[in-house]
Amino acid sequence: MLADVVMTLPRWPIVGRRPEIEVFERALGSGERAGLVIYGRAGVGKTRLADECAGQAAASGHPSQRVAGSRTTALLPLGAVAALLPDGLGRLGPDGQVNAVALFEQTRRALHDRHRGRRLVIVADDIALLDVASLALLGYLAAQQAIFLIATVRTGEPVPDLLTDLWRDGRLQRIDLHDLSRAHLDTLLHLALGGPIEAGAGQEFWESSRGNPLYVHELVLGALDSGALVERSGVWHLEDHLPATSRLLDLVEQRIGGLPDEARSVLELLALCQPVELGYLETAAPAGVLESLERAGLVTLAVAEGQVRLAHPLHAKVVRAAMPKLRARTVLLAQAERLEAASSAHGPAELRTAVWRLDAGGRPGPGVLIRSAHLARSTHDFRMVRRLIEAVPSEELDSVAALLLGEALYELGDFDAAERVLAAGQELPSGENVAMRLAVTRAKNAHWGLCRPEEALAINGAAKAVVSSAPLVEELVAHEAAVLTFSGRPDIAMAVLAGITGSDKRTRVVRAIAGAVALAMAGRTAEAVALAQASYADHVALGDELAIAHPATHIVNQVFALTEAGRLAEAGQLARTGAEVVASHRVPIAQIWFAANLARVATLQGRPATARRYYAEAAGLAQANGFAGPRCMALSGLALAHAMLGEPEAAAQALAERAAVPWFGFLGPEQHLADAWAATAAQRPAEAAETFRAAAAEAASTGHRVTESWLLHDLMRTSGEDVSARLRELADVCDSPLVAARARHAGAARARDAQELTGAANDFEALGAMLLAAEAAGGAAAEFSRAGEGRAATAALRRSTALAAACEGASTPALFHLATVNAAAADPLSGREREVVLLAATGMASKDIAERLYLSVRTVNNHLQHAYAKLGVTSRAGLSQALGSAI
Amino acid sequence: MTPEQITLVQSSFERLGPDLPALTALFYQELFQRDPALRPLFTTDMGEQRVKFAQKLAEIIQAIPRLDELLAHTRALGARHVAYGVRATDYQTVGDALYAALAAVLGDEFDAQTREAWILAYNIVAETMLEGAAAARPIGS
Repeated sequence: MLADVVMTLPRWPIVGRRPEIEVFERALGSGERAGLVIYGRAGVGKTRLADECAGQAAASGHPSQRVAGSRTTALLPLGAVAALLPDGLGRLGPDGQVNAVALFEQTRRALHDRHRGRRLVIVADDIALLDVASLALLGYLAAQQAIFLIATVRTGEPVPDLLTDLWRDGRLQRIDLHDLSRAHLDTLLHLALGGPIEAGAGQEFWESSRGNPLYVHELVLGALDSGALVERSGVWHLEDHLPATSRLLDLVEQRIGGLPDEARSVLELLALCQPVELGYLETAAPAGVLESLERAGLVTLAVAEGQVRLAHPLHAKVVRAAMPKLRARTVLLAQAERLEAASSAHGPAELRTAVWRLDAGGRPGPGVLIRSAHLARSTHDFRMVRRLIEAVPSEELDSVAALLLGEALYELGDFDAAERVLAAGQELPSGENVAMRLAVTRAKNAHWGLCRPEEALAINGAAKAVVSSAPLVEELVAHEAAVLTFSGRPDIAMAVLAGITGSDKRTRVVRAIAGAVALAMAGRTAEAVALAQASYADHVALGDELAIAHPATHIVNQVFALTEAGRLAEAGQLARTGAEVVASHRVPIAQIWFAANLARVATLQGRPATARRYYAEAAGLAQANGFAGPRCMALSGLALAHAMLGEPEAAAQALAERAAVPWFGFLGPEQHLADAWAATAAQRPAEAAETFRAAAAEAASTGHRVTESWLLHDLMRTSGEDVSARLRELADVCDSPLVAARARHAGAARARDAQELTGAANDFEALGAMLLAAEAAGGAAAEFSRAGEGRAATAALRRSTALAAACEGASTPALFHLATVNAAAADPLSGREREVVLLAATGMASKDIAERLYLSVRTVNNHLQHAYAKLGVTSRAGLSQALGSAI
Repeated sequence: MTPEQITLVQSSFERLGPDLPALTALFYQELFQRDPALRPLFTTDMGEQRVKFAQKLAEIIQAIPRLDELLAHTRALGARHVAYGVRATDYQTVGDALYAALAAVLGDEFDAQTREAWILAYNIVAETMLEGAAAARPIGS
């Protein structure tokens, strides 16, 4: 028996890692940890330590299993964890879809049954190479305590989200592995060779390996093989120098390069398809080959599982790299056929063989490709979906596959291709459900991708005519409302939405996508925030269904609603959090929306330089991913930011770029802020005012109340035109304090009421709208000054100046005026006043100041009173603050 | 280890001769000073314990040149230590206490080379005891 033979061979010892193994044992025994992560550079012994831990667990009755990612397994979702999956993988449910969460739970139960409740220890070697779905499954199983995960991560590799999530929750134990010390290396050599080594040889191993355990392993076994390392009278000697290479890879290549053909064939098979059953290898390889490979430390045997694999990932890498493509293809296809002949369809083997066929440049059956695409879809891995469905022969494409591919193409920004695929999909036979989703996805593509909202409405309308079930009709109506809201007609959208009840959860979710935004635009911001918040939870609970946007859409909507509600700081915070999440999920469209919303918030906060940065990011992402509509909006915002920074040429440039893409009507009136401010910056005030008025009129006639208030308020700021009556009306029908503050500002400006202007400045400042606060305070200063209230005027001016200083170099007509007033008042104190004030600011009493300057106390106090008035302070305490800028 | 280092360990141990009881007494003193929490792990009479330690040490040092024989001693010894509640990290403390006791008894004879040889010898003993311990200990014990 081969197994008996190999068991008697000495195992390469593990040295200096016992404390780490005990750390693992405690983590596994404690029940609080979900796993262990081993960090370290290549060859430091991560794999070996992980195996040793698994072996230790096995001795205590914990079953263990290895999963390893590679370029090959990454070709299919769950490719790396195929061995864990129960039979019936990803069979379509009654609704024609694969539910990933259900599959995960089914896997958990199957593992539980298979291992009779004992916690399975999973070794995930090089976890950074696992595909997204495999990581999601392992994360689920670990969180449910169904498995204990041992993951290895090479220093410098990105750490998958799964690990960071578990890490944040304190569920992961971390171990950092380092190279061996000289003493530990010595111990390792002693135990591996079974006796002492002469001093020079020990030193040479140390100098060549610097304590890297895999390096030592390769060196020792290579030297034994070549006869360089020999035993004489119980002592080991080096008869020849060790290979002179500093690269581990070279070392492995040299060793494997010298193997006979039959041994190499076994290594090649393992490199492509490992693990391979021992029983098969025993018949496939000539006698003695496996033993010699194990003795050479190139393969390891898991006797209990009856499986053979290469000893180290690096060995697989080297073997694969040296293998001719045609040979790899032959081996992969032969193994796929062998395994398919021996196992049932829909089992884990199906996935493994599919991976091999793809890797060989061949085609797995369409069934497994489509089921795998569903899985990839459930983790929003659209690149994988596209690759899988494109591998299905076109005559095998059904309507569901067309839907998957069309949606992926749309998400990846290939809108013309999406239109072709979805239109063709509508011609294929399908149930009502799939027909409706094809229509909705195609309409979405027409609207968002191709910027043709009328076409989107037509596609939607045609589908309404052929779908009969009430919930599906309602969903189509909800989508119609979405097209309307996001093409500039929230008023009609609200009317359309009022006609449906939203009886089922899915319809409610779809309804909320349009509804939350339309409500916010109409100034019903509290309802909008609440709706967006609730819908996110509903959407997540729905699971991953086709043809609904990413759940992050609701968070984007919540950010928008919070902004319209004047809750700028909250909006910014939520948008930053959301942006981080979607960046790690690779959802470009959501990244664009978070960036654009961060820019909007910054604009309202009076931080135009920040706005410029975020709008530029959104525009860049939109261009890179082919989203013409969002790009139009981002370019509008970019032009606005440039204009507010007093950069008319750059603003004009952004507007010219915008003119080269199709017009996108979402928030259309708001986009005209850019044209008006660009005219303002270019000193064309009449054109600016006309643009503001026209855009405000458009906003008024299309249900954009909050936007209308923005436009009218800016008209007042730039031209002084009285818009107070309409702003008051808007404030009465909107619940947003931002709209109210604008109305208060306009009313106070009209009445030339300094106190009210101060109140408006307070309101803006409380909302975090610093530029508007600065301008209102500047207005108050002017009115105080006109009324002869010098002290109040100075105080207001100082406040305005301080607020404006926080506005990142914003350049508006009102700030320009403020700067002129400040320049005139640049040095308000007379020489004597300044002397007195300087001494008073040090805390000196009037009497002492009088003595110092040879003045009467009365004169000193007079000077102080005048200086207080000029500086806008009322006491000595305020002096030191005021001194900084006035003296 | 080199053959010279093995010789160095064995010859310095022989030179202890009559001072072996002093070495063992010092060893436990150093050990409990370094980690008082180890004290309760020793339940037998300390006099008896010292004798047992000296005997085992002598056997092990005898066996160093023949790894198979050494492993037979150390693996079994490591397995027994599981039941005493000894952990991997305690082995470092034990080693440090041993070197300190040797330095105190041997004085100048315990030079840098001798010390290095002892460290390497102890490492082999510790690693193989831990191997025996790992094989004997179920997780959760």
